Parts: sequence; C-alpha cells; structure tokens
Amino acid sequence: MTTTMPRAVTVLLEDRLITFNRAVGLIRRRNLPVRSIAVGPTVTPGVSRLTIMIQSDEATAERAVQQLQKVVGVRAATAFPARDGVTRELALVKVRATGDRYGELLDVVQLYHASVVDDDPEATIVELTGSEAFVLSCIRALERFEILEVARSGAVALEAGLTEAGASAPANI
Amino acid sequence: MAEQLTGAQILCRALLREKVEVLWGYPGGAIMPFYHALPEHPDLRHVLVRHEQAAAHAADGYARATGRPGVCVATSGPGATNLVTGIATAHMDNTPLVAITGQVPRAMIGRDAFQETDIIGITQPITKHSRLVEDVEELADAVHEAFAVACEGRPGPVLLDVPKDVQNQKLEWKDGMTEGRKDTTPRHFGVPSSSQFAVVEAARLIARAERPLIMAGHGVILSGAYAELRELAERTGSPVITTLLGISAFPESHPLHLGMPGMHGEVHVNRAIQQADLIIGVGLRFDDRVTGNLAAFARGAKVIHIELDPSEIGKNVPVTVGLVGDARAILRALLDAVEPRHCDGWRAEIESFVRPRVESFKGGLSPDGILAALEECTAGRCTIVSDVGQHQMWVAKLFRYQRPNTHITSGGLGTMGFAVPAAMGVALGRPDEPVWAISGDGGFQMNLQEIATMVQERIPVKMAIFNNGYLGMVRQWQQFFHGRRYSATPIWSPDYVGLAGAYGIPGFRVERAEQVDGVVRAALAHDGPALVEFLIEQEANVFPMIPPGASLSEPIESEAVTV
Repeated sequence: MTTTMPRAVTVLLEDRLITFNRAVGLIRRRNLPVRSIAVGPTVTPGVSRLTIMIQSDEATAERAVQQLQKVVGVRAATAFPARDGVTRELALVKVRATGDRYGELLDVVQLYHASVVDDDPEATIVELTGSEAFVLSCIRALERFEILEVARSGAVALEAGLTEAGASAPANI
Repeated sequence: MAEQLTGAQILCRALLREKVEVLWGYPGGAIMPFYHALPEHPDLRHVLVRHEQAAAHAADGYARATGRPGVCVATSGPGATNLVTGIATAHMDNTPLVAITGQVPRAMIGRDAFQETDIIGITQPITKHSRLVEDVEELADAVHEAFAVACEGRPGPVLLDVPKDVQNQKLEWKDGMTEGRKDTTPRHFGVPSSSQFAVVEAARLIARAERPLIMAGHGVILSGAYAELRELAERTGSPVITTLLGISAFPESHPLHLGMPGMHGEVHVNRAIQQADLIIGVGLRFDDRVTGNLAAFARGAKVIHIELDPSEIGKNVPVTVGLVGDARAILRALLDAVEPRHCDGWRAEIESFVRPRVESFKGGLSPDGILAALEECTAGRCTIVSDVGQHQMWVAKLFRYQRPNTHITSGGLGTMGFAVPAAMGVALGRPDEPVWAISGDGGFQMNLQEIATMVQERIPVKMAIFNNGYLGMVRQWQQFFHGRRYSATPIWSPDYVGLAGAYGIPGFRVERAEQVDGVVRAALAHDGPALVEFLIEQEANVFPMIPPGASLSEPIESEAVTV
C-alpha cells in the first residue's frame, strides 16, 4: 500500500490559465515528487486534462487528489499507479546525421518504430512515442549521433478498464 | 428606461444582497470608484482602518465572532499587499473572509503600472479562491461566488480583484441581477457524508475503549457542535481536550474537561494522550504544536478522526476510522450509534497525573491574578481575543471559558499584531458584551495604530498589554535552547498611559496585584475603548513546555532544566 512507484494524477479542469496555475501551484506547495506534467484539451469544450506523473506512495497520491478536488475550476481528479494503465509520452529529437551516418540513423529509427518527421539536410527530426522508459532508451540510442535538441511532451495516462471517473463523466475523458 | 449602474454600484448592491453590514477598508487610487458609490448605500457601514492589515484582521475577527463572512477592502498594489498577512491568518484558521481589492485598469494589467501588483498570484497559496473580475457583466456573480466559496464546506478567504475601469463600466440594471450565483460549475466543497458502516465501526471502537479521549478543535466551533460534543463526552465518559482553537468548545468547569494539549499543554493532558487507547479527534488537523514528535504521538491509541476536509484525514496522524463531514452532523450520527458507558477509572487515573503547576513567577504581577480578575469582574461574560506569544498561552490556560466561542486567537499562522484589530471586528459582531484584546508588548506595538480607528468609529475594545519588556516567547526559547543569549528580544515600550492620553482614551498602569481588580472594573465601566498596561514579571516562563521536535512525554517543567 505504501510502496513508492510511478503514479499518474489526472485532473479535469477549466481550460483557463488561472485554474491551471492554481492546480500546479498546489502541487508545488504540497511539495509533490513530480516527474512530468502535461496538459491538453478534452472532447468537452472548455475542459482541459492535466496529467501529473509522480513518484510516491498511495497516500500521497490520494491526498493530492483530495486537495486538487478543492480547487475551484477542477471538475474531477483521480490517481492510479502507472502500471494499472497506459502511459505514453511523445518526444521530438533533432539529430545531425549526415553522409554515411544517415543510413545508420534510419536503422535506429526503424528499430524503435520511430519516424522521421523533418529531413533538413543538416538536421533530422525524429518523432518517437512510448512509455517513459521506452522514450529514454530510444534517446539513448540516438546519442550515438549528435543530438541538437530534444522536446518531450511529458506523459499522459489513462487507467485501464471501466474506471470510476469514466463511468460518471464519460464525455470528459 | 432601465437604470444604468456602474460596476461600483453593482458591487455595493451585491454586498447588500449578501447581507454585509460592515466593511473594513482603506481607499486608494484603484478602488476610488467603489468609494464613490459607497455613500449611496448607508446600510454598508465602512470602517476606515489605519493600515490594511488591520482591515483583514478585523474582518477575520468579525467572522469568527458571528460566523458570517467578514469583508475587507483595499486598493491595488501596496493596499492589496498589506492585506496579505491577514488573509494568510484567516486561511490557516479557516475563517470565511472576502477581500476586495482594486486593480489597475484592464488595459494596463501586465505593464507594471503604478500601484500594480499581481495580487491574485501573491495570494493564491493563502486563499481558498481568487478571481480577477474581467467584465462588469460577471461582477455580481463573482461577488456571490466569493461569498458562497468562503462559507461552504471548510471556510476560508476569497479575494476579488476588480480593475478600476470595471468599477466604472456601466451596465443596465436588471432585477434579480444580484439574486445569486449563476455559475453552476460543480465544486467539491460539498460535504460527502460518511458511510453508516464507518459510523458503526467508530461506535464499536468507542464501546471497546478503556481509555478514550476526545480532542476537540476549531471544527466544533465552526459547526456549532457544542451540545453534541458534550453529549458524546457525557455518554461515553470520555475526557475532553480542547486545542488552542478548540478552547471554549466545551465548558471548562465540566468534570470531563482536561485542558489544552501539545507544546504548552499541562503535563496530565499530554500524558493522557500518551496513555489513551482511543482518540476521537473532532474538527482538528493534528497540527505539530498539538502532536509534538509524530512518531511518538499516542502510540497506544486508535484514532477516530471526524473532519470536514477529507484531505486532512491521515495527513499527520494515522487514522483507524475517518468520518468525513460536518462535526455536528457526524456527532449526531455517532450519538445514535453509541451506547452509554462510564470511564471513571480512566478519569481518576488522569487526575493522578496532575502535577502542581510550576509557578514561574517569583512574586511579581502574574497573569493568573489578571485573568482571574477579568473572569470575576465580567462574571465570565466577555470575549477574549489574544495575540501571539507567552501571554497567548496564559490566556488560553488560565481563564475558565464557559461559553462557546469566547476565546479568539491566531492559531495556525501565529500572527503577532492580530489581537487589537481582530478585537475591533469581534466588538462590532458582539456589541452586547465586553471584548478584551490581550497582547504582549511586542504584538501590541505591531498594530497599535488601530486605537485611532476605535476612537473614530466608537468601537469599545478593552486593550490589555502584558508588558514584560521582552519578546517573551522568543526570549524563553533563547533561555532554554540558545544559551540565554537574548538576541533582539529586549523591547522598549512607549509610555502606554501617555499613549492612551494622546488618543483621548482612558489608560491605566498596573504594577501590583492589589490594583488589578479596581483597574479592570474602571476599564469596563468606561463606555468606549480603554487601555490597561500590566507590568508583569520580566523573565517568567510558560510551563510546561515540550521542546520543538520532542514527544509529548518529554516536557520541561521548571527553570532547572537545561536543554
């Protein structure tokens, strides 16, 4: 019960900066062990989904949920261990692999089911998607080339199966 | 032709709709349109304070005394930032407060305009909610939302930031405009009721306990659960401990009343906690000043925690059964499930823990006599507002509070300077009884400018200063934990009697015990504010004391101890 592990805290909230600011401010104030934060729209107009990946025990995650639920503008909040759902993040990696090395780069891209999304002669942008561990290992594989820049989205996550939040507010997830 | 109103006028009407009677504030550039509209609404009494911090404390005191939200008003920039300590005080102690600040015109926001501050950003961690009103169309609704959020569930402060041009914006007045909230976004302040299963489980723990204790906190006062608390105590024979903010939630003459726990709790109270096999916590958050070292807190006790805010349950102390809800409702449900029983042996055992109180005073004027005189001269009919420090502990422990909610203090934030302005709010909220603001010489000097407010507005606060020439609590810590190095704690005071004279109010100086009674009576007899300085012994200490970080089982009980 008290095991520290990667957990996802997901929050449905008004898509206003002030509400986002309040939710993230709370996470900072309560000193949560944050690994990543991602935010984006939902299918419900005016509602955003915030995904906070933390490394914590269950009690810490549950208390974060209860405190987030008190924030005006937060519609729903829930937490689950990352292993009980699907967690994905996206990374764009800009690498320089010219001449002979370009073919080598394409091999790595293929191996990781990544794709080349921009092919400037001097800099190739590779897109990869997967779990945090997968993304990290792929970036490590790309380190044999010259990495110019990396943009990672932070993880989004969904709990597997029919969940309580899903049952009560299907349109919001 | 429909009536055209300015934002400022709509703000006034919305405040009246919320049954606001008094505003504590200070005008300035960005809030001037509101002050322009104010005289058209004579039912809104405005009290001009001398510093915005006092406006927030006074609104806080008013709310604590009446249970209705207090309202303070300030201009943008420095006016708004001066409210901050008062808002934080209300936030820590869960007082319903609505702070209204002027803001620079919308077009200037974000440009570092004159007297612009991001007060929403500054106060975000210390408010329950805050809102920048971006258009006059949303103003009335924003006011009603502010009052609703401040009061519902666990109360707290809400800040409304109103740009100057929104106050001047015109809007066609429609009947019903200030009827109530239009926003129906679901919020989570509603109180989920605990399952009957949990109540039955709690009742079973109570039936089995041999050494039960009730710890009552501020939640009992906020929900008015006095009768229910008393009935639970009497039916189960559980002795009752009241935390600093729970003081006066349970009559202190009652045989089951034990006293205050924690850092300055009496030895028998803390020992009872350490020996208990069941703690029933009602409306408290097991603050570190209450528990001491958490790892050693009540190790033999199961814990039932009755609390409105689910995020508090299990936050500090592991809980066996958590009952989420309003203290009064939960206690009622629990009373339906609890069988009558006695714990006479346990009560007697606690009595055997009682130690004679170590008298730190060596013959000089002591707080015992002062508080006894207050009790006698008022026949217990008064409300005491204390400041922060040594006197706060004496006031908490030496007056026998009998009536609900008659002890008001800044608990969570520990705000020096709170008592004098907060007492103004209490006095307007409770016009029928004397209100005493008791401060040390340090805290009094933080907000003594408010005597002028009392005089101008005829607010009859009786001010008592326990003057020992030191920032006494810090000095006490220096004595025990910093090798008696009294760094920056000796503090000079003005001639307080002369000061009272300068403000045109009666002032008294008490140096000997035999003067106390007469002076207290004279101050009470005066129809208006009065000031009494008590010259108490300089280096007296508050005993017992649990050193910070130590467990409740390790009190310091006398001067002889060195740490």
